[in-house]
Amino acid sequence: MSELETDQTLQINVTRKRSPGTTAMNEEEKREYQEKYRLAKLHGEKFFPDTIYKDVLISFALFLLLIGLATFIGVAPEPKADPSDTSYIPRPEWYFLFLFELLKFFPGSLEWVGTAVLPGLAVALLFLLPFIDRNPKRHWKNRRFAAGLMSAIVIGMVALTIRAVVTTPPQAEATVAGTLAEQIVAGQDLYAVHCVECHGADGEGGKIQGVQGLEGVTLKPINSQDEMYTRSDETLYAVIELGQQTLGMPPFGRAYSGELSPGDIESIVAFMRYTWDDRAEMPKAAEQASTLPVLKPGETPDYATHIEPVVKRYCVSCHRPGKENNNYLMRTYDEVMNSGDHKPNIVPGNLQSNLIRMLRREEIEAGGPMPPSKPLKPELIEMIERWVIAGAPEKASGPATK
Amino acid sequence: MASKWISRLDERTGIVGVYKTVFDRKIPKVNWWFTLGSASLFLFSVQVVTGILLSVYYVPSPDHAYDSVQYIMTGVQFGWLIRGIHHWAASLMVLVVFLHMLRVFFYGAYKYPREITWVTGVVLLLATLGMGFTGYLLPWNQKAYWATTVGTSIAGTVPGIGDFILRALRGGTDLSAVTLTRFFAAHVWMLPLVILTVIGIHLYLVIRNGISAVPKDHE
Ligand code: HEM
Repeated sequence: MSELETDQTLQINVTRKRSPGTTAMNEEEKREYQEKYRLAKLHGEKFFPDTIYKDVLISFALFLLLIGLATFIGVAPEPKADPSDTSYIPRPEWYFLFLFELLKFFPGSLEWVGTAVLPGLAVALLFLLPFIDRNPKRHWKNRRFAAGLMSAIVIGMVALTIRAVVTTPPQAEATVAGTLAEQIVAGQDLYAVHCVECHGADGEGGKIQGVQGLEGVTLKPINSQDEMYTRSDETLYAVIELGQQTLGMPPFGRAYSGELSPGDIESIVAFMRYTWDDRAEMPKAAEQASTLPVLKPGETPDYATHIEPVVKRYCVSCHRPGKENNNYLMRTYDEVMNSGDHKPNIVPGNLQSNLIRMLRREEIEAGGPMPPSKPLKPELIEMIERWVIAGAPEKASGPATK
Repeated sequence: MASKWISRLDERTGIVGVYKTVFDRKIPKVNWWFTLGSASLFLFSVQVVTGILLSVYYVPSPDHAYDSVQYIMTGVQFGWLIRGIHHWAASLMVLVVFLHMLRVFFYGAYKYPREITWVTGVVLLLATLGMGFTGYLLPWNQKAYWATTVGTSIAGTVPGIGDFILRALRGGTDLSAVTLTRFFAAHVWMLPLVILTVIGIHLYLVIRNGISAVPKDHE
């Protein structure tokens, strides 16, 4: 026995006495481990290419998966941040849901246990794990406590995540304009509802009629070159959001008790810019979606294709709840046919219907000329007349179903 | 011919030694669970590449963040693909890193001599979660805004230092432009540098100590 070997044997004996295996691995156990590990490597594989081939294969599969997910599921569109919209239900990323759910078990003054103590403890335990767990065994069968605890934690996390998903109410569906064209079309609809009653369907302004508090006020056009060249998008946005209170325009931004979200206002600005500013070129897709349908000779008009776009643009602004309109609402086919204090305002086949007479600017019991400030274009009136004569059908096939 | 160039290069760089230590080594027979670490590394690389591309168009200000992301989705060639990959790889990375941790745990691979590898791994797990948390705010949409409002206010309930953490995260009492630039800085500079450095240490230790063998029944 050489001197060195004796020395080592001695050392092993000493350490064996000191720690009988329940605490940290002793020197002998470490040496034993290294020896076994050396043998395992000897009977093992080459990192290149045996192991790395599996790594590359898995990474490549993940790459394909990512391309698939990005292409076929993509990223769900979301409306722009709106600090004033307190009805929004906050939702963290899915891998934080379990924490979110955990907090519900610590209400009120106990909250800090869930927010600070438990996560802090978990992180500390995770860091210290190799120094706390001194069981030299490695197979899970010989580490029942550690393996059981970790399994319980993971199952708990999964359960909490599922619980969070199940118990959170679904978000109210918000439409998000993705492309500029979609934004312009959305803006046009919003403009029709919120702005037309004062500013006119084409921003032409004029004398306001039938609007509470602003009756008879004359507005200058907002679609002029002057207006468009001297107002930036930011200015238009601010005017819509904050209103011009000294001139009588109320604020429309939700933060100022209006009805419009930041995304809505941006859409309206885009609609105004691309429709009225001769320097901006209307995208093709938006142009198609925003032009009113034209009736071909011999074609039978129907509500969905021909009438609704006209109604939306010229009538709904006043004929919706909360406005002065003798309870005649025009948001849907059913409302157009069957609502109002003087209903029916449309009698299929009858050109003496209230609606037709008022479009022709007659003064009748049901009310005065419509729209109040400016007549519809003759071809639009004619289209509506032909629709009524045809029996006011809702869809392309079949007459009205009353 | 090629070998002559390699030996010349090696004379000046020691490249062959590096190759031998990193690639040309024996390791125990391992199974498919051992691919999770390299999968984490791969997903991180994907995030670096797609993240750099996104940063070309992304603007970290409340006025422009949303529109710049919208532009990436509709105006930039393949912008939707880059953002889609970044979005999904973020989720996948959290999942894969976590599974990698579980693999290491259930094989007892954090024990001697790999304790420090484990500790660096925990740093990586936390930094990865931090990337998810800070990245979530950047598109400045409703989900981002409200999740971050709640997330940061949770940090604010820590006894004693909660208020300080809240202000440090938000850069004030409320979510604002300052919060966005802070999260942006953390997401593209601070956390990636931490991850990059710690991955370096992690991999050094993995190579130095060798990959553990699959434990046998009696071990
Ligand atoms: C960005 C995150 C991470 C990356 C890129 C990464 C990368 C790697 C790689 C490539 C390996 C080689 C063996 C294998 O793939 O299984 C490895 C091993 C290891 N990792 Fe990680 N890792 C990460 C996170 C973690 C975490 C969160 C932990 C634990 C808390 C951890 C603990 C370990 C340990 C202890 C080993 C040695 C395992 C053995 O020798 O069997 N790592 N890591």
